[in-house]
Amino acid sequence: MARILIIDDSALSRRMMRAILEPAGHEVLEATDGITGLERYFLDKPELVMLDLTMTGMHGLEVLEKLREMDPAARVIVATADIQSSTRTMVAAAGATGMINKPLAAETVLQAVTEALRG
Amino acid sequence: MILTDEQKDALTELINIAFSRTAAALSDLTGHRVILNVPQVAVHPITDLQGVLAEFVGGEIASVHQIFTGPVSGDAILMLNYEGANILVDLLTEEGAGSGRLDVSGQEVLMETGNILLNACLGVFGNLLKVHVSFSVPRLHLEELNAMLDSLVIGKEELRYALVVYTTFQLRDSSVTGYLVIVLGVASLDRLLHAVEEWAQLKT
Repeated sequence: MARILIIDDSALSRRMMRAILEPAGHEVLEATDGITGLERYFLDKPELVMLDLTMTGMHGLEVLEKLREMDPAARVIVATADIQSSTRTMVAAAGATGMINKPLAAETVLQAVTEALRG
Repeated sequence: MILTDEQKDALTELINIAFSRTAAALSDLTGHRVILNVPQVAVHPITDLQGVLAEFVGGEIASVHQIFTGPVSGDAILMLNYEGANILVDLLTEEGAGSGRLDVSGQEVLMETGNILLNACLGVFGNLLKVHVSFSVPRLHLEELNAMLDSLVIGKEELRYALVVYTTFQLRDSSVTGYLVIVLGVASLDRLLHAVEEWAQLKT
């Protein structure tokens, strides 16, 4: 079981993600924007980050870039409503461990988390 | 500006696919079956939009806007009448907001729902037409239809003419009826039609 940081400006999405992760035994931390997320990553050292892309303030890809600068081994799953193949390519090129689409499906989320933690 | 029959046919097919993806996302979110009506495609001067949309929705509305940019840019809008917005929030939160005013939490739920639905719709455009679309943070408007339409501005370019594609959807077992509208400026419309024609040729 892991400590997982959710960075998402939507309370609904954070709530949905928490409702999937906690029953699976994970400890969940939350950040409502990119800057706060970077701070929490530095302070709390989560094993995995679930990161939204389209957020107020810093865009998720920028957050991902900063996370990778802080910790090249950072494990990040991008969780976004953007279903474009080109976005998936950009996210992979930016070093994300995985990408899942919203609306969140519990099975998909947990499978991505298991694979990310295993890798 | 008038669309040829071929352009209209290809565009309607593309939009049908995109709106179906949107309906699937809404169904996943709410657990309700979503009934989607046939999309309508038309070019209108922006000044006529109020009359066009007022046929379907009147009074105070809740609309989530998502401005998108890239080779094709514009404003995508999820529109709900106020009561429908309340019911949708209830379905997603089970908090029983009823028919009162949407509070901050309800507004936030609506905004994220719009984000998911509009991304699902526009993402299909991006994938099928092989263009990358960048999304802005969604904005929620709670106001009369004409006030909302006054805010349809993309960057510095005011949208004088627009391709309007819209459909109505209904959540089975609830009275939520909504409208998806995509508004494009003429320059983007030109690029979109070019991409759609290429896509249609590849398909056949």
